[in-house]
Amino acid sequence: MKSRKVLLFWCVVLGLIVIMTAFAGLFSTHAPNDMDMDKIYVPPGENHLLGTDHLGRDVFSRLLEGGKVTLTVAGVSVFLSLVIGVLYGGISGYVGGYVDVVMMRFLEALITIPSLILILAFQAFMQGGMWSMALIIGITGWLVTARIVRSEFIRLKEAEFVKMAIMFGTPVWKIIFGHMLRNSVPAIFVVTLFNFAGAVFIEVSLSFLGIGVPPAIPSWGNMLYYAQNDILIGAWWIGLFPGIMIFITILSINFIGEALKDPGRRRLNA
Amino acid sequence: MLKVDQLSISINEKNIVEDSSFLVPRGKITSIIGESGSGKSMTVAALLGNLPLGTETTGKALFDGKDLMDSSTEEIMGIRKTDIFTIFQDAANSFNPSVKMERQLYAFSGGRNGDTVKQFRAKMSSILVELGLSVAIFHQYPFELSGGMLQRCMIACALYVKPNLLIADEPTSSLDRVVQKEFIDILKVLNEKQGTTTLLITHDLDIVAEAADEMIVMHAGKVVETGSVAELFARPTHPYTKRLLESRF
Repeated sequence: MKSRKVLLFWCVVLGLIVIMTAFAGLFSTHAPNDMDMDKIYVPPGENHLLGTDHLGRDVFSRLLEGGKVTLTVAGVSVFLSLVIGVLYGGISGYVGGYVDVVMMRFLEALITIPSLILILAFQAFMQGGMWSMALIIGITGWLVTARIVRSEFIRLKEAEFVKMAIMFGTPVWKIIFGHMLRNSVPAIFVVTLFNFAGAVFIEVSLSFLGIGVPPAIPSWGNMLYYAQNDILIGAWWIGLFPGIMIFITILSINFIGEALKDPGRRRLNA
Repeated sequence: MLKVDQLSISINEKNIVEDSSFLVPRGKITSIIGESGSGKSMTVAALLGNLPLGTETTGKALFDGKDLMDSSTEEIMGIRKTDIFTIFQDAANSFNPSVKMERQLYAFSGGRNGDTVKQFRAKMSSILVELGLSVAIFHQYPFELSGGMLQRCMIACALYVKPNLLIADEPTSSLDRVVQKEFIDILKVLNEKQGTTTLLITHDLDIVAEAADEMIVMHAGKVVETGSVAELFARPTHPYTKRLLESRF
């Protein structure tokens, strides 16, 4: 039962982060882009809970707003990669034969290219904002999902209950959705969670490198990028808090995924 | 009812079943017995048009005068849907693990006949009670039930559908002795009450002795002996049948 408590704890942590950032407007004390040149580099304390940055903007409010951006980019991209991955893997696994071989070799070729390089290349000519970031991460992040879906479909295609359904003349779409996709959900869910953590990380890395979300929009990665110089002059709070948020978010997602992956939680033969 | 004539099945030019001929008479329990790999399950798969890709079949299988080997997919689908009911080896895997029993039982029984859910519920409830199952299983998932209970659920569907031919492919091999006995008793009742023609595939001679009227002995892809159970048990002619009978406890 210990793992259950751990799972619950991390779900609460992640839930808090998501709620705080999703309703950033309710919790933030200042407008995220309001500059106050009289109060630059104010350390954490009264009025400014987590201090202010080099333009006198409230770090706490920007942290929430930035979280919204980061999590939205990650969420949209994961949804996109989920759709592509399920379609690709589903077709490959269900049809099988030559189609499967060709599709898998193509996928393996793509997997050998580090996705960060692909993303950099896309970003170079798309020069994108927030949504194109989501698009780029999405269309490079479906590979693992596709593989998992394929292997689940191959396994389930041989399952007795699927054969049984085929025998009784169940329509193909019903078998695909009701029998195969439905029973792949646990595996797909876990891989999607890990993808989500990965997407957060990629958004942060790109923004940190200065090629991600445009500077005008706050995101955790952006904040870290600008905090680099501030740390040199001793303004540790500007970089520390986004760093902690990224750390906790990715950690909680990974712990949740890990807990759900535990085979003891899975239904027999599911 | 079912007349199989010179049925051969081969995968990649390797013969799995060779020139098998046998008869499943109407209203009786016929058993195919043979060791693992003797081609029993393959024969059944061929009858149901359920063979893996890359297999070739020759010969005939006449079901009520219609050749199952030579029918279009639609015809076979029709026959499967209305005339034949199949129970597989492992009932625990015959149900979708993430769907509640009610919907699945409906899909296997009432849904096939075109009954409404309401009709199904009324009819199935009484069948379940008859088989010693509680109606509560409607709202349970397959993994919450035992293997024996699931196998009885399968039988319940067979009772509901009243198929002309019931095929049971090693239905008892995943059950313990007590549940096996219960299962066989239910099969016999089904046969006596409704006159369901049953094709029982097994490797267990005790089950044949207990339940079947006719038996077909398969060995290494060939039908080596057929006849009534009483006759074959008393006077086996083929050496394999003799060995089989000697190996009984």
